[in-house]
Order: sequence, then structure tokens, then C-alpha cells
Amino acid sequence: MSRISEMPDTNFNGIEQPYVPPKQLNISEKLKLHRKWSETIDPVTYEVIRHNLWQINEEHGATIQRLSGSPVAMYALDLNPSILTEDAEFVYFGPYMQYMSGVTDTQVKWTLEYRSENPGISEGDMFIANDPWVGAAHQQDVMLLCPVFWENELFCWVTNCLHQYDIGGITPGSFCPSAESVYEEGLMLPPLKIIENYEIRKDIEAVYLRSSRKPQLVALDFRAQVAGNTTARERIVELIKRYGAETLKGVMKKIIDNSELSYLEKMSRLPDGEWSDRTYIEACRPGDRRTHKVMLGLRKEGSKLIFTNDGSAPQEGAMNATYSGWRGSIMVAINELLSWDQYFACGGALRHIEFDPTPGTLNCAEFPASVSTAPIQAMEISLYPAYNVISKMIYPDKELRKDIMCIGGTSQWPATLFRGTDQWGEKYGYLLVDPIGGAIGAFTMADGINTGGQARTPICQLPNIEHTEQNFPILFLYRKELTDSGGAGKYRGGLSAESCFIPHNTEKVTQDTLSSGNAIPTSPGLMGGYPSTTNGYTFIRDSNIFDHMQKSTMPEDTSDLSGHHEILQLRQENFTQNPSDVYAVRWSGGGGFGDPFDRDLEDIATDLDTFAITPEAAKNIYGAIILSDGTIDAEASILERKKVKQNRIANVPQIAKRKGTRVYESSDTLNIYSDANGEYWCCAKCQQPLGDSRTNYKTLCIQENREISTSNPLIGDPSRFVDDAVEFRQFYCIGCGSLLDNEIAIASDPVIHDVRRA
Amino acid sequence: MKTFICGLDIGGTFTDCVLIDELGKLTIAKSPSTPSDFSEGVLNAIESAATKLSLSSPELLKSIEVLAHGTTVGTNAIIQRKGAKVGLITTKGHNDVIHIMRGSRGLAGQDIKLIVHIPESSKPDPLVPKKLIKGVSERVDCFGNIVVDLNENEVRNAILELKQAGCESLAVCCLWSFLEPKHELQIKNIAAEIAPEMYVTCSTDLAPKWGEYERTTAVALNAYIGPTTVGYITRLDESLKLMGYKPPLQITHCAGGTITVPKAQEAPLLTLDSGPVAGVTGSSYLGSLMGYHNVITTDLGGTSFDVGVIHDTKPVVSYKSTVHQYEYFLPKVDVQTLGTGGGSKVWIDPATKALRVGPESAGADPGPVCYGNGGTTPTTTDADLVLGYLDPENFAGGKIKLDIAAAQSSMQTLADQLNMSLYELASGVATIAEFQMADLIRKVTVQKGLDPREFVVFAFGGAGPVHMGVAARELGVSKVIVPQGDTAAVWCAFGAASADILHVSEQAKIMSSPFEKESVNKILLALKERGIRQLNSDGVHADKHQFQYSLDMRHRGQINEVEVFLDKDSLEENSLALLREKFVSRYEQLYGHGAALYDARLEIVTARCRASAISLKPKLNTSQLDQREVSPDMQTGVRKIYWAEDKEIRSTSIFDGYKMRPGNYLEGPCVIETETTSIVVHPGQSIEMDSFKNFVINP
Repeated sequence: MSRISEMPDTNFNGIEQPYVPPKQLNISEKLKLHRKWSETIDPVTYEVIRHNLWQINEEHGATIQRLSGSPVAMYALDLNPSILTEDAEFVYFGPYMQYMSGVTDTQVKWTLEYRSENPGISEGDMFIANDPWVGAAHQQDVMLLCPVFWENELFCWVTNCLHQYDIGGITPGSFCPSAESVYEEGLMLPPLKIIENYEIRKDIEAVYLRSSRKPQLVALDFRAQVAGNTTARERIVELIKRYGAETLKGVMKKIIDNSELSYLEKMSRLPDGEWSDRTYIEACRPGDRRTHKVMLGLRKEGSKLIFTNDGSAPQEGAMNATYSGWRGSIMVAINELLSWDQYFACGGALRHIEFDPTPGTLNCAEFPASVSTAPIQAMEISLYPAYNVISKMIYPDKELRKDIMCIGGTSQWPATLFRGTDQWGEKYGYLLVDPIGGAIGAFTMADGINTGGQARTPICQLPNIEHTEQNFPILFLYRKELTDSGGAGKYRGGLSAESCFIPHNTEKVTQDTLSSGNAIPTSPGLMGGYPSTTNGYTFIRDSNIFDHMQKSTMPEDTSDLSGHHEILQLRQENFTQNPSDVYAVRWSGGGGFGDPFDRDLEDIATDLDTFAITPEAAKNIYGAIILSDGTIDAEASILERKKVKQNRIANVPQIAKRKGTRVYESSDTLNIYSDANGEYWCCAKCQQPLGDSRTNYKTLCIQENREISTSNPLIGDPSRFVDDAVEFRQFYCIGCGSLLDNEIAIASDPVIHDVRRA
Repeated sequence: MKTFICGLDIGGTFTDCVLIDELGKLTIAKSPSTPSDFSEGVLNAIESAATKLSLSSPELLKSIEVLAHGTTVGTNAIIQRKGAKVGLITTKGHNDVIHIMRGSRGLAGQDIKLIVHIPESSKPDPLVPKKLIKGVSERVDCFGNIVVDLNENEVRNAILELKQAGCESLAVCCLWSFLEPKHELQIKNIAAEIAPEMYVTCSTDLAPKWGEYERTTAVALNAYIGPTTVGYITRLDESLKLMGYKPPLQITHCAGGTITVPKAQEAPLLTLDSGPVAGVTGSSYLGSLMGYHNVITTDLGGTSFDVGVIHDTKPVVSYKSTVHQYEYFLPKVDVQTLGTGGGSKVWIDPATKALRVGPESAGADPGPVCYGNGGTTPTTTDADLVLGYLDPENFAGGKIKLDIAAAQSSMQTLADQLNMSLYELASGVATIAEFQMADLIRKVTVQKGLDPREFVVFAFGGAGPVHMGVAARELGVSKVIVPQGDTAAVWCAFGAASADILHVSEQAKIMSSPFEKESVNKILLALKERGIRQLNSDGVHADKHQFQYSLDMRHRGQINEVEVFLDKDSLEENSLALLREKFVSRYEQLYGHGAALYDARLEIVTARCRASAISLKPKLNTSQLDQREVSPDMQTGVRKIYWAEDKEIRSTSIFDGYKMRPGNYLEGPCVIETETTSIVVHPGQSIEMDSFKNFVINP
């Protein structure tokens, strides 16, 4: 299998292969682009217009939010508005669903290349688009692209993307866990002119709505998208009238140039090198018990970043994403870690970033692979390694280090897809959106945020229980934050939560599961931090819940109930939940940062007091000694931690220390030093040399392979879901016994060489 | 005997007392606020007003017909984190509602920097720690049916445990209690029996709305500020009664009206933020007296910029508010705050060399560089000083001397980095700040379907009149009014005095079309009865009762709701079709023609009744208009001021605001100074004084 860059003869035009925009777009001469702009804009005019453009994009998003009718879209804020230049560079990208950034510019570029001649792009047009090979994340994410014209020239684009409730396919809601190809999934539209000369084309709208199980909601959402684009287009034309086209365009270009400057300045502060990460998807179709490897490589050469996915598993079943989905995932991490100070104006950074995946893999799938589950599987699983590799790249800089976030909650989505007849007698299908409550992973200087949402959507809100119960025939027994769900570390990852419900006012509910990350944790920690809990489904058939209800002694946990525990597989289809069947869904939490033995004992005391961790975890993971009154014995705890470390290094042959000087800090636990013999790895605590900096320091460490369940108290036996053995590998310093890093791996996979100094 | 209407407002420094007699004559008195017990300051202010009228306090109090009062006690308790220790009882299994915060950081609509830079943000300190939240077995479903009876033993144990843990106050919120309040009321009764000393709040009494997170936050906040606020109001009420004040004391609330003491004791949360709201209420009343029915109120202080909107004489209201990232249900006059003000920091993005103003603020301490309190980062106020808008010798009536050299040098450093002149930079900073304000005003009007060009702007706050002229010009607003004369100084007290008694009762019940008019009418009737009970207990005679009804509606499946006002207190046979038309027309007014789906099913979510009684209204005296020319002695001198319009420094006339007469007219550029502000009139603009002694800028 070859990377895109190694396939010069292949046509990446969005049909069999993904669309990969060429450096020079091939646009019909019929379409005149507005290409004049002022290079000399004074700082005040710049700042005034910049602020205004941001407001326009914000208002665009607010308009969609007010008008949309789709609960998934609205609670998960599964939408994003953008402003792009005439040639589809990002000016502004909204603070909503971040992965949509990667799928926006590609679709505009495709439209410029393939629609400018026939049917043509004119004033008053809008194009609807959701083809994942052209650039959508999955079919449900429908984009509406609106060209903005000034004096017969294409001045810029305003666009939005909004997740639709249902656009067809074999499963209600259009996430199709058992689809083997796109032919079983929702309607696919390559960019299509749905608004012509300011009028909705009724014939095209009818085609668009025809495949949906909820055409009225999709129609309402379509109006929301039209209204959003219309508002933004009108406001931009007002700005042109107020300041002149060349000034406004000059500001747009400068916003991008400035974001580029900011990016370049950051890159100049960082050493070159290569970083890699590895994670897994579990189950690609019903009955599958294999794991599917997801690899991510990042190479930094000066200001250039190159992302690859060498070694990722082949496309298969219904777990895949296309090129643009994978690119979008990585752009989430770029936006949040490198472009946040430019308010996600990532256009400038993109000028220096290459995406070079291998077609035919699960996260760069070729047509006609099934991709409807992409955002909650292949894309999600591609996003989090991107956080890790970028975090490791920026750690050496003391300022940029503050921007690091460990992987957050719901790093794979434990989907609960259910359907039936609701309490109002109507048919429904729904994806429980509770996991959007996620958790934020630990930072390098503070704990993560309990149920702080999914980092990839910086503003979102899960529905109140009363909202969900009003619309669907279920009764929640609880929704609670889970003790021990956050990854342990010097700074703890945020806690995640669990929702538990029974059918109510209905005879039964028909359920599908769709998940991964139930066997192998997908929110690992960073630089010694531990993983959060895995996802979890608990299903108790024929429980005694009605006894509890009758006796007014309600459960607070599934362990308070009796009945038949069924292990739900990760793609179990069409199973029935009867009124006495209790179903609980737990989502992954935030990963921890740094060695748990470095956690302040007072913070551990607070954790105990606020039910963030159990006394068992305090003892087993954090090395805290707890007295009978529940308080921590500080002195004994310090001794305990020392003893554990000493035991690790007992009988380990020592390597002589060196007298080099520090070149930079590579992680919270590791530094790079240099002496006459060259650069070498060094324990940050005891300066123990750990080999040449071009080698993998882990080979010189003490490696302990433990059961994955030791990494977090809520992780159970992986063999319930996958056949591969899973290890929690810990790497200790041979000098002082301190924990340097952890690795979560399938036993047959080699130790990963995660950081290479250039 | 003369009778008065009295408004009282407690500010950070002073407590203001405004008296208005039948002829509209004002008597104004001030007394230092007394934070240890605010009621002391209030009584002092009344005494001082009485002295001015040669009366004793009891004599004055006997002749006051309406005494309205706004309190900040609750707001202060929240800011200073000095509220009561609260215990929360809720449906078992749902204890974490206010910790989960709907899986958000509570930042929607707030500082964008915190939204995009997650490591800088966090959830707020919990209102109630997990240890003090007790779940009890009980359950109601979405039809309002009880599916699990309340376990009273668990309730008793929970209350006793919370009592033992030292809780002074108890918040109660059960799932779906807005449809079936039985369990919450049972818990309240048990608490009254076994913990009578505890202050108890139930969500069904305070906010019977759909959505347990915002409802639980409301009760937790109410319980948090309850004991302090109730103590204060009770003490004040008793003191006033002792001194001879007979009618019920009116407390201003955040929905823009007043309530009596018993209601304020039950729902002190209603008093939260009632201060800024009273400013908007005052503006709506005074604005309509002055003939302005559409008003944007702006208050630009050192650290914040508050904007309220009055459309067709009514303040724009929201039904969900945020305090410290916590969202809660309560009808409230919508005052939007932007963290920009005179203290907004000027900075240059190191990587891009872009000039930025705010959102970080130098605050009150150290404040702007020119204050000389150790601030080193220049701010908008420093720019104002460098430009010549402010007089370094005569700031705040000469009470503060400004260090112009320090301001210049700090700005010069930035100007050098950008290759700009000092004045280009300073005027640029002012422009950026002014356009940011214009953007916010545009946002709060346009997003509500309102056109700012149909409004006038009221400019309050020390820094408002410095900048609002340019912001208004940018917005196309026809007039900027800087309220002056005696009333401006005590605007909020006037707001309190002009407010009507108002009870906003809400009831959530989700109903889909085709609506059964009987079900809707049943709810409307219950709301009306609740309103009548309230007004009766306020001592309002039935012929003064007024009711207004509205329904929050939406397309079925949509989340956003639109408030539709009803003409009558019930729906009739043909009014269902009418209701659809009203919904569509309001919806399209807000979101544009074609946005609504005509044949879609609709839902009613909340029914609402505003029960009010028009109170005695203060009158406002007008003055005869004088000649257009100002008297020669009004000019106090000239100052060198840099004007961005001309890109040059001009010797500009400075005038004494107190010497301007109604009818007087001046053309810009000029600056008019008073003790509290400088009114900057740019080239091409003009200013006049109207018959109410307001300054009116024509931008």
C-alpha cells in the first residue's frame, strides 16, 4: 500500500479515490474571481473588520442553532459555519464541531473545480453537498456552500455544515453499524446547486428529503442552513459597501497571513523530530472480535508538518473514514493546540501542513466503503493520537506546554441507537447523545474537567433528562459522574459519567450498540499519566427494578439490582429492551498527565472528599496510605512511594551517569541532554542517562507488562469483546524507579518508538 | 398633606433616596452605604431626605405612598461567596445534575477566549458540594404520573444528615415536579416539621419550568442567597414599619417590576441583578415620557459594558440567565455584559503584530496606567487621556489627577512597535473599542429581529459619553442621550420608583398541535388565579389588576422557542388557527421571511402570565427651551485634542456641562465636562440639551 504522495498517476478526484485538492485549482474561466486586495491595511481598520468578521461567523452559527430542529445537531452542536476566501482558504471557522474544518475547504475547492463550468457558480446560488469522497465527514453532515459575489466576481464563500437527523440508509438515524458499503447508507450528494438565483430548487429539495425518515426535520434544518448563509452573505456585502472590496479582501488575506505568522513563530521555537502513536478500533461489523490498528505519524521539518497513517489497518466493515474525515480529525488538534490564539483561523497553518495517508486504510477509505459511522469511530480514533503527537511536539516549549490537553472523554462513542414507537404513538429513532458530556483530559498544570464536554466541540450541552424523556419512551434511573473514571496522574483526567434507563410508556425498545474502546482504553494518559475508564454497556435482563419502584427504594447503581447480566457486544443489532431490562451506558473519561506518584497528597485528599477516586485507587495507583478515619498519612505515603520505586530497581544493572547539559525537556519525565558523545535521553528526576537520543529510551527502561485492568479500576476483562491480549506496559527509570511513560498495546505489537529527535 | 413616591437604591458607595411629589418635584438625598447592615444606610438616606424637606423620618415615611427598593444583598453574597451552606434534596440517581452542568463548562455566549482555549477554563466552584446533595427515592414521569412514591424515611434521614452537616438552607428539586409537585411539597412539609429553622426552597414554587439542570440551579442559588437576603429585607421592613411607613414595601426584581416583602422572602433570587435591571426599567419609563419608545441602554464603566434593549417601551426579557457559568431559569430583563470598558488592555499580538484591545481588563486595581496605581499596560482610558478627551487635572470633578506622561510613554512603546504615531495609536484604540461596542449592540438587537437604526442610545457610566457618539454613528442610531439633570445621578432609584408591581408566573407543559384549547385554557386560568392571589396579597384593588399572557412555542422537534403574546386570557375556537399565524409571524420577524414551516406541527412549551398593577408614576418636569447659543461663560477653556476624522490635533473648546441650558446647541468638535463624565462630540456631530436637561448627541 502506498501513500497518496507515492501515487502520482492516480486521479484523486472524489470518485473512486478521495478528492485531494491540487496546489493549483482548475477553475473554469466562466467564473471570475475577485483577486484584488489591499496590502496596506492600517492596524486599526484591520482590527475593526477582523472583529466584525468574527461576529458575522458567530451570528451565522447562532442563526442555525435557533432554527435547527435536530436534537443530535443541537445538543451536540454538530454544526459549524465558516468564511473562506474566493479560493477556499479559511478566514474563520466557528467554535463548534471542530472536525468539520477539515471537510469544509475541500468541498469548496471541489465545487470550484468541478462546478464552475457546468452548471456554473453564480450570484444567488447555494450548493448542497455530503459526499464523503468529495469531502463530507459522513453522509449525515450536510454542507451548504454559498458563494458571495461582488460586481460579478466571486468575492468569498460562506458555508455551514449541519448534522442531519436521518437521511436514509438501513438504520434509522443513518449511522449504519452493519453496512458493508455506502450502498446501504444514506443519500449521497456530490455538490449540487439547490438554490439558484436566490430561489430554492423545489425539485432538488424534494430529492434531498425523499430518502429521510424525518423529512420535516430535515426540511427545517435546511431552512436553518439557508438562513445562516443568507445572514452571513448579507453582512459581508454590507462590509464590502462600508469598507470597499479591496480593503475587506485585504483584511481576510491578512487574517490568514497572521495565523500563518503565529504558526511559524511557534514552529521556530520547537525542535524537529518525529512522533508516533498507536491505538485500536474494536469490531468493524457485527460478530467481529478483532482489533484494528490505527497509527499516526507526525514529522516536523522546520515549519513543515507531515501527517501519515502508515501501518493503519485496511478498510473493512462499517468503521471507516475518508481522507477528508481523517484530515478533519487532525485539524481539530491543530486548531485547539496550535491555532486557538487565532480563534481557529487555521488557514495560515494549513499552508505548511501536508496530509499524506495511505488510501485503502480504515481512515483513508476508498469508494465504496461504509463511512456513516466515521465521526464516532474512525475519525474520533484518529483525532486523539493527533492530540498526543502534537502535545509531545510542543512540550519542549514552556509556553506552548500550557496548551496541552490529554485525551478527553468519549474518545470513542458508546452509541445506543434505539427505535420503536414512542409514548405519543409515533415512530422514532434516536442516538442517545448523553456521551457528548464527555470529560476533559488533564492539562500539564491542572486537573482535567469532570464531564466538561468533548474537547472537539468546545461548546455543547447534553439534553436535560426531562428533555430526553419528553421525546422518547424511556425513564432514566440515573445519570451520574463515575468515581475513578478519570485517568490517574500528577494531574487527574476529568471524570466521565454513566446514564442508566429503562423503557417507559412503551412495550419495548429495539436497540443497536455501536462502540469501540470497551476493551482497550482509548483515553490513555500522557507522559506517565494513566488511562481513563473504557466505555461500558451494562444490560440486566429481567431485573427487579419494578420491585424497587414499588417499594420506593430506587437504585443508585446497576450493582443495586439483580437480574440476568447480559454482555452486549459492540455491534449487537436488533435486540429488545423490555420494560424491566435495565440498560446503563458509561463513556470514557479524560486521560491523566504525569506520574500518579507525583500527585500532591492534598489533591488526593480532595479527590476522596469529592468522590473523584476511591480509597483503593488512592492506595493502589497513587501510593497514598489511608488511615482508618479516611485521612491520608502523609509520611507513610511518602515512604510507600519510595519503597515501590526502590522495589522496581532492585537487581537492575546500572548505567553510568554522564555530565552533559540539558538541551530541552522532552516530557514531564524525560529530558534530552548533550555531552561530548552526543545527545542522550535522561530521566528528568535523577538525570539517569537512557541512551542516545535517536534510539528508543524505552529499550533501556525497566518494562513491566501488567493487566490492562490495573490501569484504571473501571476497566474490565478485554476478552469479553476482543480475542487479542491487551497489555498495560509501564516503563520505569533504571536510576530511580520513577515511572517515565505507559503504553497500552495488543501484546503482539512491538514497543512503540514514540519520539525521535531529528 | 403632601404625598411622595420614594425610590431607594444601594450602590457600592452610596445609598440613594429619591422622592417625587405629586407635582413631579424631586428631592434627592445620599448617604454612605453600610455593608455590615445595609438597612442602616437606607434609614440614614431617608432621614437625610426628610431633613431636606424639614420633616422627621417618621413624618416623611407616613406621607410616602409607594416605597420601592432595589437590593444588591443577594448579588453581593454570590460575588463574595458568602451565601448560606446549602443542602440539596433531589430525585435519587440524579444528584450530580448541577455538577455535570449538562456536560458543558457553562461558557456559551461568554468570553470566546475561554471557549477556544480549554486549558484556561474550568467549571465554577460547585454551588453545593456532592457531600451535601442527597437523592431520595421518588419519581414522576413525563405525563406527570407518579411512578415511584416518595420514600419519606429517606427524606427524613437526608434532612437530618444535612442538618447535622451544618446546612442552614435546603434546596429541593425533583424530576418533573413542574407537572406533579406533590413530592417536593411533601419534602417541604417534612422539613418544616423536623428542621423548622432551615430556609427551604422548592423548584415548583420558584421555577416550574422544563429542564432539571436550570431548575436545580435556580433553587440552589435561591437557597444560597436566601437567609442573608431574607434577613436584610425583614429587618428593613420592620424598621420602616416601626417608623410609620404603612403601605407594603416594594422590592424591585430582575424581571423589571416590584414585589412585596413576603414574595421577596420566598424568592430572593428575583432580586439578583435587579440593580442594573432597574436602570433599564427607569430608562423604559423615562424614555417613553421623553418620547423614545425604542431605546438601547448602555453603561460603560471601568471593567464592563452593559447593554439592555427596550423595544416599544418594553424591556427585552430573557427566561434563562447565567451567573458564574451556572445557568438558571428566571424571567429577567436581558442585560448583556461585555468585559470591555475603560480598563480594557491594549496589547500587540507578539507573533502577528496585530493591535488588540481587550478582552483582558486592568480592572479597578491597578487600573489604567494614568491612575498611577502601578498599572503598566495601557488601557482605553489611557488612550482617551492621550487623545485629550479627558482632562488630567479635572477627572471625576478633580478628585483624581491623571498621569498623562505615564500614559503617553506606555502608549508610545506600543506605537513604536507598530510604526504608528502616538496619536494614531491612541485614536485607533478608541476606534477599536467603539466598534467592538457597536458590534455587541448590533448582536443584541439584530439577533432579536430588531434594527438598531430605529433606536436611540442612552449612554450611562463614566466612559459611555466619551465613546458612544462614534459607536452610535457606526450603528446608524439617530441620537445618543446622556441623561443629565438630577435624575441621571439616581437613575436606578428612579427606575425602582417607576416600576410596576409585577408577578411573572410560568408553567411548563409540553403540548403538541393540534392543541386542545381546554388544556391550554386550564393552565392559563391557573396562572391567572396565581396572579390574582399575589396581587390581592399585595393589597392591590381588583380594578387595578392587569394581566398579559404569552406562550413559548416552537416547531415540534425544534429546541429554540419563540414567545407569542395572546390577546385574551383564554383560547377560543378560532384562536388555534390564529395562534399558528401569530407564531409564524413572530418567528419570521425574528428569523427572516420563509424561515417558518407553515404546515409543521407546533408545540407549546411554557405558558406565562404577567400579573401587574400600575403603580403611581413619578412625573418628570420639563423646562422651557432657551436660545440655541450657549452663554459665553460656559466655555472653560481649550484643549489640544487629536481627532481621527481630521487626523490632526486641534485646539478644541471645552465646556462646563453644568452651564448648558435646555435648548442650547453646540457643534463638534468639542468636549463637555461634568463631574462624572466627559461628553466627546466629534467633528461633524452636534450636541444640544433637551427640555429634560439631557445632553443629546446627534451622531
